[in-house]
Amino acid sequence: MKASGSGAGRLAWCQSQALWLNLALVARLEDLEGAVEARQSGLVRYSAMAIGEDCALILALTERHEKPLPVRSMRAGWALARIRDHALWPECWRLIRSFELSQTNEEIAAACRRLVASTRAIVGQVPDGLTHDGYFPMLALTREWYKLLDALGQKGFFPDEWTRDRSPKGTA
Amino acid sequence: MLPRQGLPTVRVRLSDRGAVEARIASYHGVSFPEVLAAVDYLRDPGDSVIAGGSLTLGLGNRLSDLDIVISGPASAESSRVPLQHWLKSLRVDVWKLRADAMDELVGRAEAVLGGEGPVAGAFGDMFEEADLKLLHRVAFGLPIEGPGIQPAASRSYRAIAGDLLVREYAERMREAAFVAQLALAAADPLGAALSARLAALSSLHATIYAHGLPFTGDKWLGERVTTDAPELAERHALYSVLPEPDADVAAFVRSAVRASEHLSGLELSLAALAAQGRFDAGDLELYPAGTARFLVSVDRDGLWEVTDAEAAAWNGRSGRGGWACDPGRAAGLKLSYDLYAAGIASLRWERGLPVAELAFAREDIA
Repeated sequence: MKASGSGAGRLAWCQSQALWLNLALVARLEDLEGAVEARQSGLVRYSAMAIGEDCALILALTERHEKPLPVRSMRAGWALARIRDHALWPECWRLIRSFELSQTNEEIAAACRRLVASTRAIVGQVPDGLTHDGYFPMLALTREWYKLLDALGQKGFFPDEWTRDRSPKGTA
Repeated sequence: MLPRQGLPTVRVRLSDRGAVEARIASYHGVSFPEVLAAVDYLRDPGDSVIAGGSLTLGLGNRLSDLDIVISGPASAESSRVPLQHWLKSLRVDVWKLRADAMDELVGRAEAVLGGEGPVAGAFGDMFEEADLKLLHRVAFGLPIEGPGIQPAASRSYRAIAGDLLVREYAERMREAAFVAQLALAAADPLGAALSARLAALSSLHATIYAHGLPFTGDKWLGERVTTDAPELAERHALYSVLPEPDADVAAFVRSAVRASEHLSGLELSLAALAAQGRFDAGDLELYPAGTARFLVSVDRDGLWEVTDAEAAAWNGRSGRGGWACDPGRAAGLKLSYDLYAAGIASLRWERGLPVAELAFAREDIA
């Protein structure tokens, strides 16, 4: 058992943020695979950049437990700075940097799959919420984490648009 | 102030119902009547069903989901999250909207566009963009049952949605250009390159929306410029890939800022922008403790040890409760950047960027 003392809230918050990013990787991978099949090079490169950033963030949050996160536009740099000595830094950087047009979509996709597999080998596998089989396990997992975060007085990980009381009035 | 010159030069290419249905049928063997049957339980009497998203805008692929908005005069409730459905291999995400939801959203957009304040993510978290997407799904959506949704507005609904995007991305461009130059001054080349790329790509987004193209999110920019704005494709390729850390990052930043200035018609130098923004670190305070110095935020449950030089820079800020950067004071620039990059300080702009002041629509892009 690992005691976290007064840092319990921070630990849970960081782990939950990493979990949410891990869950959302399935959407990034779906974009990537669809784009490779359709030969949409722009989407392949965008997806790779996003996967690199998300994996760097997952690793930084899991291993450094630092809070707060900066605004979204600063998170790739924030994460890379915090995993500078990590074995997966070069792969994260390669994807975040993006790829010249000479790199094939298949090569880029292979690099993405490798990084996601390596990241999940460290932080764990999660249900695929985009499939029939994974949707309800994903909901159950997030519900359990929300109970834990509530108990520790920590903000949850869902986008603000999903949880706020107003704005847009129609989707609150 | 720069006048808006000319009309959009790009014809908005929207797929018709038959083309979208044929595409979905070829990918998934699913017809629109089957989609309507699957989401029928969410419909109130008189509700329209609008299809939106990449598949209806000539983008998308076999793994793209189909986004659906359901709303009408009798809709009393809105869904808080997208409701997922599966039909064979097609995933259908449904947003159910209360009858007045779009009126409220468009009214808010008009108010923002008519005002001086920054948009500042008021229509969704910077990357989630929930409200922006919703606005455009309805503005450029494909009615597959019932009439299109017509919110009360003083002018073209598409024009409102487009102007909001131009302004949002122009403001992102401004902030990213400022932060890129600040990062260079703070000796963070990686941060500088990342922000410079964001500035350049945001200026491309603003340009294509100023020409009337519908919003499809950041991820489709590459395909969008290739298909509809070939004049921008080279610039997209130039700024999409970051320089290696040992390359001339300063040159990349200068070039990205110049390209953003060219498209927007704005001056984006560090000196010009430093006068327009203020940093805010909330309840952050400096505490000496023996020989150590700590910046402490009770609200954020955070404590950061700082050097004597950083403590001096903190004490040398030009104001309390929000401070502006003096481009001539290197220590102050570095501390401001470091606090911002660590999520400890936020950046607020004194005013937004009214569309009438922007030049994104000036040049042909197709």
